[in-house]
Amino acid sequence: MLCGLGALGWSLSAHGFGEEGAFHARLLSIRDEPLDTELTATRRWALELTRRTSAPGKLASFVVEPKSNELLKEPFLVWVGDKDPGELDQRAVRGLRQYLRMGGILVVDDRDPKKGAFLRGARREIGRVLPESTPVRLDRNHVLFKSFYIVARPQGRVIGPDSVEAIVSGKDVQVLFLAHDLLGALARQGETWALPMEEGEANAREYAIRFAVNIAMYVLCSDYKDDQVHAPFLMRRRQER
Amino acid sequence: MFAVPAPLVTGWFGEGRYRLSDDLPTWATALVVVLVVLSILLLWVEVRRGHPRGLWVLMTGVLGTFALACAVLRPVHVKLKGRTIPGSVIVLVDSSHRMDLPATDRFGLIEQSRRELARGAVEDLRHHLSGSRIVVREFDSGLLDQGDAKKGATSDLLAALGQALGESAELPSSIVVVSDGRLARPSGTVDDAWTSALRAAAQGVAVHTIGVSQAYPADRSLRSVGLTGSAVAHQPFRLEIEVGCEPSAACDEAEVRVKELLERQEPQVLSTGRAKFEQGRALLSLELTLEQAGNRALLIELTSATPDDVVQNDRRIVPVFVRRDRLRMLHVAGRPTYDVRALRKFLKSDESIDLVSFFILRTESDQVQAEQEELALIPFPVDELFSEHLSSFDAIILQDIDAPRYRLDRYFGALRDYVVRGGGLILVGGPTGFSSGGYAGSPLEEVLPVYLPREGELIVRKAFVPQFTEAGRVAPILKPLRSTMGEELPEMSGANALGSARPGALVLWEHPSELARAGAMTQRMPVLAVYEQGDGRSVAISVDGSHQLRFGTVGAKTGGRAHADLWEGLLGWLMRDPRYESAQLRLDGECLAHRDQTLLVDPIPGLGDDIQVRLEKLGAGVSDSLPLQQLEPGAGGTRRFVARQIPEGGYAARVRVGAAPPTRSVIACEDGGEAWSDSRPDPERLEAIARATGGTAVTAGRVSQLPKSTASFIATHRESRPWLEAWVWATLAVSLMSLHWLVRRSVGHV
Repeated sequence: MLCGLGALGWSLSAHGFGEEGAFHARLLSIRDEPLDTELTATRRWALELTRRTSAPGKLASFVVEPKSNELLKEPFLVWVGDKDPGELDQRAVRGLRQYLRMGGILVVDDRDPKKGAFLRGARREIGRVLPESTPVRLDRNHVLFKSFYIVARPQGRVIGPDSVEAIVSGKDVQVLFLAHDLLGALARQGETWALPMEEGEANAREYAIRFAVNIAMYVLCSDYKDDQVHAPFLMRRRQER
Repeated sequence: MFAVPAPLVTGWFGEGRYRLSDDLPTWATALVVVLVVLSILLLWVEVRRGHPRGLWVLMTGVLGTFALACAVLRPVHVKLKGRTIPGSVIVLVDSSHRMDLPATDRFGLIEQSRRELARGAVEDLRHHLSGSRIVVREFDSGLLDQGDAKKGATSDLLAALGQALGESAELPSSIVVVSDGRLARPSGTVDDAWTSALRAAAQGVAVHTIGVSQAYPADRSLRSVGLTGSAVAHQPFRLEIEVGCEPSAACDEAEVRVKELLERQEPQVLSTGRAKFEQGRALLSLELTLEQAGNRALLIELTSATPDDVVQNDRRIVPVFVRRDRLRMLHVAGRPTYDVRALRKFLKSDESIDLVSFFILRTESDQVQAEQEELALIPFPVDELFSEHLSSFDAIILQDIDAPRYRLDRYFGALRDYVVRGGGLILVGGPTGFSSGGYAGSPLEEVLPVYLPREGELIVRKAFVPQFTEAGRVAPILKPLRSTMGEELPEMSGANALGSARPGALVLWEHPSELARAGAMTQRMPVLAVYEQGDGRSVAISVDGSHQLRFGTVGAKTGGRAHADLWEGLLGWLMRDPRYESAQLRLDGECLAHRDQTLLVDPIPGLGDDIQVRLEKLGAGVSDSLPLQQLEPGAGGTRRFVARQIPEGGYAARVRVGAAPPTRSVIACEDGGEAWSDSRPDPERLEAIARATGGTAVTAGRVSQLPKSTASFIATHRESRPWLEAWVWATLAVSLMSLHWLVRRSVGHV
């Protein structure tokens, strides 16, 4: 906790210069639904990143609408929900399309993956945003699984499937579909975690945090860990494990 | 000096000539003569048969026939008046730079240059052909204009013959060539084609030759230096070197060294080899690698213990353009941010860039909460990168990295030398960049475009929008960005505090209100500045928000294109891409030491008329650069500058056009150059030329053995007078033929 406060302190002291390019998990708001719990999760996401890595993170919570000019301010968004989001209006579709085509990354996180209504609805709407793109399953060797930690599978509050799907442009992930309630694993309520893990509390939450850190590192470094210079080292590490 | 025409010798020719006819064609005259002869023969045959009064018949017949023929032909007396003009001789004197080599007779070296000997031979020729009209012309790669002081490296006799005979109104009676015989043309084996080409150029006129050097001087030399293929940065290539040595019997071996001439540094040895002579000749193939692309200068030196009459051709300075196949770039970032992401994505999007990236993802204080083997992290190989592999990179980007913390400061000296030797460096700002990152007062600061503050507030925390400076508005580096964005730039959340620009550096963006924190503190604080130091270049950008040009509300206006425009310009300038240079510079011909040399500058239009060119000799211990004087502008906006009497060496030439960043090129000036690379005369070639054209070959001391030219008569007045008037001939013919008829009738033969 002290480490976390320390990181928070550093981050706040560098507010302004140096924070311009810091990781910031902004929440996409389609309707005016309450996102208080999710905002604690995005703050925790940035905090865990700054505690564990050299990357700076913005601890300020932020919600943006797809029609807003703020959408294009930073290249990372999280769209979270537990039921079908409904149909996006045309302005929202255009806004998201521009955001993604300029290189922005969107994580779609289903808070209730057992039902899967949100993920299905979000996939449908993303299909309208990027009609020419189809989600594909990411290979286990994808850089997302080794951008900081070496992780074996995606992890969130819910164990969920052992793979993730994404819309990929070239080598770049544009939209990541998570059926693991990642923000649920990061959400806070006061001094404690807001939601229990589906199973294996301590380890599962740690792995969820690691996966979140990897997503953040991917957003900041893109495919850096795919560089040839890292390949022999990572191969050896995987064999050791 | 030689091109003074011989005095014209004239005279009058008054002798007359008789002609059978003045107006009939030759064939008609011949026909009449034949008919006359046949007629007389017939008469003779007739008289021989025992003709009474045969003699009378014969006499009257012959006279009548002659009179009739004369009536037809009307013979005349022609008298011509005109001038007797002495024979015309064109003297072609080889005036290439090679003629400054020492001359030799058949016993060895003599105390004169070939040019001096040629001068004496021409004077002897004037004496010898005093009755002739002599036109003396100098030639090198072609005919030279009178008073042209510039001497070329090669001698092309065929071109000179063609030009000299083309300019002459009449064919000369002979041509005399004064040379040492080592001609670029005609060259090669003397065969039918060689002879035909020579005769065609001489248009059938006899070419006499005067050889000004006979024996080979005692000389070892670098006869030729050539590249196999082209030089590509970081890739080995071969230098093919031919070494000559005379007299061949005294030659054993010699050492050849190839060095790269560098700015303000000792030459760096790239390769050495030993030349083992066989019959006075050795071929070497040396492999070398040049790490930096662009214009480079190689010094090739030959050392040997054998005596040498011409030391100048033991050294050659060869300019080499090293092209870049791929750009090898090192990108080191102190922490991952959106700015790092944007720059990496730009670099990765360029297929011609081989990118090596190292980002610090974890510091010692970070709590990773995992075992080492659970992390995908590798140690930052700072020692390996900045010692062993440093020279293999074309450019290095240090982005927001704390130097002491990651032991980068140990290599500041090596990084400075890397830039001075031709490397490219970009420092990108951030909370741990520039002075905050331990760069102030370091050796690396010496090659940065700006001074760095060592104390006080090292970071400007107030948001601001950078402003283009005057240089930034005209610099080709930022032209694409300005085309896309105009004056608009995104707001930056802060910047590293910088000092003023170093002398020679250019500020492209500046802070709108803050003043420089070091150096000239009354100047605005630079935000983006560029600098050229030694052979290399550096860029300082003190903000970490250029990613907003790619992604953000400002970037959205251009679809993210502006970020690529900015970085393409910065990298392109760093790597000397001609698109981002303010001018192109080239030499007007070969540069020879201690002579005036013209440099031609083609500036990019619109950057202003103030153009300055400075030369700085490559090598250590050089203090100042030499400003060049501008001459009258040439055609098409080309500016001409003259470097007067510069000594032998490689030079960095910098052109500055208005406020735009300077353009640098490398030029090489040699003592002997290409012309002196082979000092051997070729008297056999001169003999072959004379033989092929029907001329005579002599040496400089035997000019008097050349044949004298014959005089020509040019008629200016013609007077034609008939022996007798036409009616007299007709009357005579009628009378004599009548008499002949009467004689025949008297003897009964009608």
